[in-house]
Amino acid sequence: MTSIGTGYDLANSIFSPDGRNFQVEYAVKAVENGGTSIGIRCKDGVVLAVEKLVTSKLLKPNANKRIATVDRHLGVVYSGMIPDGRHFIERARDEARAWRDTFKTPIATADLASRMGGYMQAYTLYQSVRPFGITAIVGGFDSAAETPVDGEVGNGPACGAGGKVAGKTHGGPFLYMIEPSGLYWGYYGAATGKGRQAAKAELEKLDLGGPGGPALTMEEAVKEAARILYVAHDDDKEFELEMTWISGADGPTKGAHHEVPKALREEAERLAKQAQEEKMEE
Amino acid sequence: MEFGNSGSLREDGIHLDMDRLKKGEVNMAVTFKDGVILGADSRTTTGAYIANRVTDKLTQVHDTIWCCRSGSAADTQAVADIVKYQLELFAMTNGKPPTTQTAGAIFQELCYANKDRLSAGLIIAGWDERHGGQVYSIPLGGSLHKQPYSIGGSGSTYIYGFCDANWREGMEEADAVNFVKDALKEAIKWDGSSGGVIRMVVLTAKGADRHLYLPDTDYKVRHE
Amino acid sequence: MDHRPQAWGRPRDDVYGAYDASYLHTDGPKTATQSPIVTGTSVIAIKFKDGVVIAADNLASYGSLARFTDVKRLRTFLSTSVVGFGGDVSDMQFLDRHLNELAIDEAYEHDIVSTGAEADQPTGSAAGQLNAANLHKYLAKLMYRRRSDFDPLWNQVLVAGFDAQAKPFLASVDLRGTTFTSPSLATGFGAMLAQPIMRRFAATEEDAARLTRDEAVNVVKECMKVLFYRDARSLDRYSIAVVTKEGVELSEDEQLEKQSWAFAERIRGYGTQVV
Repeated sequence: MTSIGTGYDLANSIFSPDGRNFQVEYAVKAVENGGTSIGIRCKDGVVLAVEKLVTSKLLKPNANKRIATVDRHLGVVYSGMIPDGRHFIERARDEARAWRDTFKTPIATADLASRMGGYMQAYTLYQSVRPFGITAIVGGFDSAAETPVDGEVGNGPACGAGGKVAGKTHGGPFLYMIEPSGLYWGYYGAATGKGRQAAKAELEKLDLGGPGGPALTMEEAVKEAARILYVAHDDDKEFELEMTWISGADGPTKGAHHEVPKALREEAERLAKQAQEEKMEE
Repeated sequence: MEFGNSGSLREDGIHLDMDRLKKGEVNMAVTFKDGVILGADSRTTTGAYIANRVTDKLTQVHDTIWCCRSGSAADTQAVADIVKYQLELFAMTNGKPPTTQTAGAIFQELCYANKDRLSAGLIIAGWDERHGGQVYSIPLGGSLHKQPYSIGGSGSTYIYGFCDANWREGMEEADAVNFVKDALKEAIKWDGSSGGVIRMVVLTAKGADRHLYLPDTDYKVRHE
Repeated sequence: MDHRPQAWGRPRDDVYGAYDASYLHTDGPKTATQSPIVTGTSVIAIKFKDGVVIAADNLASYGSLARFTDVKRLRTFLSTSVVGFGGDVSDMQFLDRHLNELAIDEAYEHDIVSTGAEADQPTGSAAGQLNAANLHKYLAKLMYRRRSDFDPLWNQVLVAGFDAQAKPFLASVDLRGTTFTSPSLATGFGAMLAQPIMRRFAATEEDAARLTRDEAVNVVKECMKVLFYRDARSLDRYSIAVVTKEGVELSEDEQLEKQSWAFAERIRGYGTQVV
């Protein structure tokens, strides 16, 4: 690496002469060693999945969950250094809570992504800290229906509020990915971690960014997510598949972030393994 | 006059007679087909003396989010100023205009957290793209109530019956304006603490539109 | 003229004589405690063999003014418990928001869908998730803490749901943090008017364990009617919830039925008058 020995990589807050922050680049390396995480924005919700590498046979299967809930309607998955991810989630929960305390409504996915992007970026600026060794994927479903102010009582007119802009819809599924530099974008499908290249290639084949919005449903996306993680998986190392999803109020999770039901996950894994074997035979 | 330093207000503190700052009034906000209408009289009293006969009690806190203030003029102005600042900040930091709900939430928190220090009854009414026209009422204790229409101020007690009997959902703008005007006229007629001109603000997708009606034309002609 | 700040806002002594501050009464104790302003009246509840029935009317009064007639005073918690609020509405909203945040925190630790289905627990609550008994204890501690700060939450609260043994649970807390539990409970006017009626049907836990759901619902509806007859701060529209192991069935816009007023025809004058 060009940085070694130059001293420009020894601290945050120091640029190299060619305009790079090496600490951030090293943080990206930490991410690239982590188990693959993916997120898919579908027609009716968001699916998050992670390839959880089993580091010891002494760990209880299906314990130590990696995907976390923030508020009710948001989920976060990440690749990289797990303690950094845990801190990231703690902060995300604090941000969501602070938003609720001031505005008495759930935070929008975009607003949380913005705040967490700002938080990650702050860790690239100071001598005393190091950047986060994670890339986080934030998925959420912002209520499409009108929601009350937390705690409010009473109703408006039974005929509904007047003067709404006709034909305009609000809310829906959203997906963001935040990198160690603090850079974040909204995505149709996102992947990070060790198998990101293969995963991205597979995600690009899905119908996610069409002009009429994504065509894929959540149930399909769960199966695709499982298949993609099996494709992206580095052969013989053992791993667990952890998947969560968030639908709208009329969907299976009723607007909340939940783990994908066991039966569906197992079905998705069975199909993924089957696809894998078929590929081997070819 | 001798002043002590005992810590007792009677002996050494300054004080203001809070009761003198209060104002009697009537104000209301109603939802209608295209948004909301706020209306109020223009009388401010200190006791029986009319301190201001052409008061504007309709206060803008954001482009199409307004409020009717009743109770202590000083308290409600202070609260409205804080909310106006918060909403401006919200619009700048989030890159989108605040909703009526945002305003309601901030108003409520201020009124609830300071309930033992404030004498403020508020009606928040606003139009936003997502929710259309909405009316929220925040009475004395700092609770938040969503309503199809709301009436407030001391004069409102005289028009509960009128409003309940004449209110209709989803009115046309002209009908809603007349409903507000007729209700306020009753309050002005029967309540000594209400009087003067009738001011209104109509909030719709088109923005804020002010109305003014004067007693010398029997509130019939729209001025301005 | 006295220009010292202490004299600001006061009539000039040299013109009006010494200022009479006697009406100020400022040397008493500092008072942070307020009084309720917008209020809800009674909440009543009774246990039956498979759960609890709880009800409260939809009125929020402003003194004697029936100010808000669509206020829902029964709040569900984690779809497994119901909290009924009497007293100040702003404090009810504070508690409601607080419980909402508590429920969000619960979701961080317990994923209902993944673990609840597998665990052998009542009412879809995941293992270790807050039940009604836990919730009641939490509210009692909160209310007691606030009264000890001389800043009470001005409510009387009933908590209905299930305890850790999956038995029907019903308990109350008030603004002082006082707690009670009983086969039937009522706050406010209900304690005087409804409780005696409910005790006729469920005087003991054994009685309650024999009551059917329909019987319990009927008793509660009958009590709501008596309260409407005799409580001047009540309304004929009310909310009623049935909490069972299957979850919470909440109906928020019930109308009192089968009222009895026709006997007014027989009442003439106030004693001897017959026409």
